[in-house]
Amino acid sequence: MITEIYKFEIQYRLKRPETYIFFLFIFLFALGGVEFIFEGKSLGLVKKNAPIVVAKTMAAITGILMMIVSLVMGTAVLRDFKFDFQALMFVNPINKKDYLLGKFLGSFTVLLFIFSGLLWGMILGEYMPWRHPDDLLPFQLKTYIYTFLTIVLPGLFFGSILFFVTGALSRSMMVIYTQGIFLFVVFILTKAISNEYLQAVLDPFSLTTTSRMVDLWTPEEKNVRLIPFSGVLLVNKIFWLAVGFLTGWIGYKKFDLVLNHRKKVKNKKEEVLTNDDDNFVFRKPEITLGTHFSDRVTQLFHLSWFYFISIFKQVSFLAILVCGGIIIMINSINLGTVHGVDSFPKTYFIIAELQEMSLYFFLIILVFYAGEIIWKERDVKFDLIFAATPIPDFTQVFAKFLGLSLIYLTLLVSLIFYGVSFQTLSGFYEYDWLVYAGGFFLELFPFLLLFTIVAFFFQVMTNRKYVGFILTLAFFVATVLVQALGVDHDLFLFGGKTLPSYSDMNGYGEVLSYFLLVKFYWLIFGMLLLIICSILMTRGTETTLKKRWDFIAQRFTPSLKKMTAVLSMIFIGTASFIFYQTNIENEYWSLNRKQTFRADYEKTLSKWEYLPQPKITDVELNLDLFPNKKEYFLTGEFLLTNKTESPIKEIHLQKLLDDQVKLENIIFNTPITINNSYEKFGYTIYTLKKPLTKGDTLKMNFTQTYKAKSFSGEKPRKGLNKNGTFLTNDDFPTFGYNRKYELEDPRTRAAYDLPAEKIILPENQKIEETRGRSISDADLINFSITTSTSSDQQVIAPGTLEKKWTADNRNYFTYKMEIPMINFYSILSGKYQVQKDEWLFKTDSTRTDLEIYYHQGHEYNLDRMMASMKASLNYYSRHFSPYQYNHLRIVEFPRFADFAQSFPGTIPFSESIGFVLDINDEKDVDMVFYITAHETAHQWWGMQIEAANVPGRNMILESLAQYSALMVMKENFPDHKIQQFLDLQLENYLEKRNKATKEEPPLAQVEKQDYIYYEKGAINFYTFQESIGAKNVNRALCQFIQDWNNQNGVLKKQTDRYPKTDDLLGYFREVTPDSLQYLITELFE
Amino acid sequence: MKSPHNRLFVVYPKTKPFDPNNLQTDFKAFKFVLKYRLLVGLNLVYFTFEGSKLANRPTGKLKNMNHLKITNLSKIYPNGVKALQQVSLDIPVGMFGLLGPNGAGKSTLMRTIATLQEPDEGIIQFGEFNTAENKMEIRKILGYLPQQYGLYPKVSAEVLLNHLAVLKGLTNKQERKEMVAALLEKTNLYRVRKQNLGGFSGGMKQRFGIAQALLTNPKLLIVDEPTAGLDPGERNRFYNILSEISEQTVVILSSHIVDDIKELCTNMAIINRGQVILSGKPQTLLKELEGKIYQKTIQKEERSNYHHHYQVLSEKLFLGNPIINILSETPPANGFTQVPATLEDVYFSNIEKNN
Repeated sequence: MITEIYKFEIQYRLKRPETYIFFLFIFLFALGGVEFIFEGKSLGLVKKNAPIVVAKTMAAITGILMMIVSLVMGTAVLRDFKFDFQALMFVNPINKKDYLLGKFLGSFTVLLFIFSGLLWGMILGEYMPWRHPDDLLPFQLKTYIYTFLTIVLPGLFFGSILFFVTGALSRSMMVIYTQGIFLFVVFILTKAISNEYLQAVLDPFSLTTTSRMVDLWTPEEKNVRLIPFSGVLLVNKIFWLAVGFLTGWIGYKKFDLVLNHRKKVKNKKEEVLTNDDDNFVFRKPEITLGTHFSDRVTQLFHLSWFYFISIFKQVSFLAILVCGGIIIMINSINLGTVHGVDSFPKTYFIIAELQEMSLYFFLIILVFYAGEIIWKERDVKFDLIFAATPIPDFTQVFAKFLGLSLIYLTLLVSLIFYGVSFQTLSGFYEYDWLVYAGGFFLELFPFLLLFTIVAFFFQVMTNRKYVGFILTLAFFVATVLVQALGVDHDLFLFGGKTLPSYSDMNGYGEVLSYFLLVKFYWLIFGMLLLIICSILMTRGTETTLKKRWDFIAQRFTPSLKKMTAVLSMIFIGTASFIFYQTNIENEYWSLNRKQTFRADYEKTLSKWEYLPQPKITDVELNLDLFPNKKEYFLTGEFLLTNKTESPIKEIHLQKLLDDQVKLENIIFNTPITINNSYEKFGYTIYTLKKPLTKGDTLKMNFTQTYKAKSFSGEKPRKGLNKNGTFLTNDDFPTFGYNRKYELEDPRTRAAYDLPAEKIILPENQKIEETRGRSISDADLINFSITTSTSSDQQVIAPGTLEKKWTADNRNYFTYKMEIPMINFYSILSGKYQVQKDEWLFKTDSTRTDLEIYYHQGHEYNLDRMMASMKASLNYYSRHFSPYQYNHLRIVEFPRFADFAQSFPGTIPFSESIGFVLDINDEKDVDMVFYITAHETAHQWWGMQIEAANVPGRNMILESLAQYSALMVMKENFPDHKIQQFLDLQLENYLEKRNKATKEEPPLAQVEKQDYIYYEKGAINFYTFQESIGAKNVNRALCQFIQDWNNQNGVLKKQTDRYPKTDDLLGYFREVTPDSLQYLITELFE
Repeated sequence: MKSPHNRLFVVYPKTKPFDPNNLQTDFKAFKFVLKYRLLVGLNLVYFTFEGSKLANRPTGKLKNMNHLKITNLSKIYPNGVKALQQVSLDIPVGMFGLLGPNGAGKSTLMRTIATLQEPDEGIIQFGEFNTAENKMEIRKILGYLPQQYGLYPKVSAEVLLNHLAVLKGLTNKQERKEMVAALLEKTNLYRVRKQNLGGFSGGMKQRFGIAQALLTNPKLLIVDEPTAGLDPGERNRFYNILSEISEQTVVILSSHIVDDIKELCTNMAIINRGQVILSGKPQTLLKELEGKIYQKTIQKEERSNYHHHYQVLSEKLFLGNPIINILSETPPANGFTQVPATLEDVYFSNIEKNN
């Protein structure tokens, strides 16, 4: 008997199209699986077909596609109930064991066939055009088969038992759709377990487990070694198999072959009720049938509410609500974490977390519920009765749409409730309702609505529920891929782009109206699609698309036609307006166009990369900011000096490449001729009629204006903002070829026929050494600025505030730097509060003004910042050299970026990096203190000492700043905090090293690898000072500054080159006893 | 509300009606069910109720306005089955019976009239409306009970009926409430109105189906095998409702129960293989066979013999032995006795011819 049932199950499944659709879907998914799973993450030296990558991809895909396992396994028993087949099956002399086992094994066999698509897909994936041979090891069939057997198979088996049992016991389709989510919840829950071993054991998808297995392997090992089926992986698999078997056993015990008892009970009740009344008079009440528009509206709301309630009352829906809450509570624990310290649960952190977490949920809910609601009548065979009612087609479809929308609203409101509860429980009461509303109702909600319409559309077109599911998912994947391919125009990118992240200072920037218009445009599109759905939807027994197509003319009623006409007009109107704004008013740059431009820039202009240019020596700016109008006017005067030995004939001026910026009125105080042939690149060559000889100077005056296009989707970024303007020297004209416009990604470079890595020729090496920074058009400059802004803002620029006044309802400021500074300055404007203090240098009592400019409400960590500035200034000026300016300012800027950066006398500090950190002095390292100390250290390493633009540069700038900050910490915090900090650095270092794409260079040769110059730098320097003593290290650094500082360094004065790591290590060697000299080699070289 | 003058006196067969829901879960019974169902499917088993006398009711007045005219209706399914072939029927106000074996095209015809299916050819005209072109207009005056349907299991009878009432245009709350209550009472579901439909028996479900078909006082009522699953009492109750309604309404009814059609319908048609093979008033049709039907109880072994020699119309089992009805112009003697012609005989004689 069991073989009969087994065979029957397989034969049945093999006749069903779903089986093949699932297979095909998994197969296609697996083709791009590695790219999908590891999207954007660097694998470092590990190849894309290394065993660990294959294992993680397979495990993740299996986890994501647990819903297919559910759809296959869960329906095995349910099907018999659905088709009223159970009477036949259960009265047969079949015993329970045969029935269940036969069904299970049959379905599982089919499931294996379906999931073999994963194996074949991944194998063939190696030969896909998007794969790069550099990323691949030679093909190894063994890797795939072994991984499939050890990782996927047990997982499938466990999932199969679980879903088979729940499907058989619940006999509800919604349980089957949603149970995949619950397993996902378990997965998320395990992520919250702090014990790593336990976490690895309990991960149902074995993702954490496999990572843990290879934790300590080198990249080489990862490329060659298969993941042994032992240790924690074995325990993990055994654990889940045991859970599976236990579930199976319980299910077996609970399962009852006899029909529902419930029915019988009710039958009895009914018998009592039916036989007592033979009333045959049909008293016809008077009725009127509503035909007005208002009646249609009544019908629409009634039907929508009916659909809403029918889903809302389902147990599975409530379970989703509860699970959503659990996930959120657990995940919100790590909010806006910076270096291991959480931020205050500000609404924008919560919202970002909730959006990210709930997307997967919503996608599943959307795909399945949309299918379910479209098929609602047909699934219970109520469709003919329903279809014979005079409810208009569009009312019906639209009611389904509204019903689902109400479901989403319920979910969103409950998410907000969870978010607020979490904030309240954390003792944080600053609920930002507008941010909740923005994140959910402006961003997530339209997304859900649009994809629901798409899901409806596919359900209607295919008229097969499962095909509809798969196509909707495929469409979602396609929209992601299309975006990755560079389609980013809002008119074509389905649903438009996302909102920028919210900032307390600057809100969403200026994009909101544009964003809403784009959403409106897409929703109109969605409505048109809904009309198509309504006239094509199956109503009655004509199901073929062709038949339905033949009759659309009839179903396209005059009122629908009117509606379509109006919507189309609005659609075209909105489209034209958006097009006008993005492509005509603003210039539209597709990704491809941007890249081509950058490549052309390099190809055309890089021949002048080392062309001698005069250096800027004086900068005088006059800058008027109009934050509300998003405009600025800048007039500037640069004094240029020829510091080379030979005369300079040509000045190469580079304008900031931004369509909204105009550079005009360029006047040199000497006769010139203009060569405009590179205008496309904003690059102008001025030939001096009289060459500039050694030591000669030249004045250049210019006007630069910026005027933001009124209605653009441009996200807030560094530049002019409504509140939180952040301009730097980078935004103003530069001289010579500018490397910042080059393409960076090696692959992209190769695609545009550029060398993957830029090679610096030996003859240019010397020139690089004379450059303090990569764009080096100056050494030291004298700087002064007069600037104005709106009346509610103030501007912070480098230098002493010499004058401050108000005129024409605007605030004016004049700043002047007392001493020459590097050509690296920031100009910030915002509605700031300020906290002031001062610091006196012990030896001569020179006063330094300390100021923190912050956004109102962000007072949390001001004292820590202030304390850190003082402690840092103390330590550095005592041990390295005196502080060079009479002010040190921290200025907050909006969340469009999350860094803090040091400029002469000024440290712009992102809203999200330190201002809102919630530091628990018991358990956290005071990262605000640390970051402030680090940035303050840059006033020495960077402002006083510049390093040559050659490998190792960042060891001098960043690693020394790390060392300095650590020393300040050491003076102010107990040892265990330092240790905690170093442990975190080590952890980060190991993690980032795993992702590195290149061999790890020693510290002294470090280039762009931040994990080396930050994390490793901190650790190695700490070790170094432990061994030879901080005193000695500081002695060396003190000497280093004396010799190499850019103002009056003893050695620096004699040369035009900047110090390198060789120089620095020389000082270290001097202070290191012979016995420990090896340490320098070991730690740095 | 009791109304004794409408009480029916029905003589039931003495044996308990067969109820598949009371089956023991043993295999024999199961096989029996299967067989039973097969037989029903082939129209070989009938419940016949002797002497069921329905009150005489006036024939519906023929109103042109509510006259259904079907002209040359044809439908071929994608799999090649000719479901309807050149079907033409004139259906006036009153009850119209559709008789035919499974797969004859009854349901296709009814669905097409109910605007749920598109004919390949032909026209259906109801009053001033062409049904294919004015679907919404037809739906407004239509009551339809499909042969097979399901109901939302977790919704109560009252809620779903109310729901359908809104969909059908009963947007006035008070009127709707009254109508729903009246129908629930009418169909004897009032006391279980709060109960979820999932717990309904086949009969209760069917009564619900009837209730929903009557929601808007339809001018065109199409009921496809409405009495399947009803016990005889329920069935008669239902027919009474129909006959009341048919005074002003075109009621189209399909049934397996030949005698019911005879009793109920003022007009009827027999359909087989998508074709109308006979249509007219039941009484007229019966007259043609009057005096030509003979009956005999025979032994099982003799069956093929009799089938060979006579035009056997039907065969029933009585105490394990077959009783056969034959059609013969002359008395066959040989132990046959003449019996009055029934509609069943009309049906079989025509199906035979058609086959």
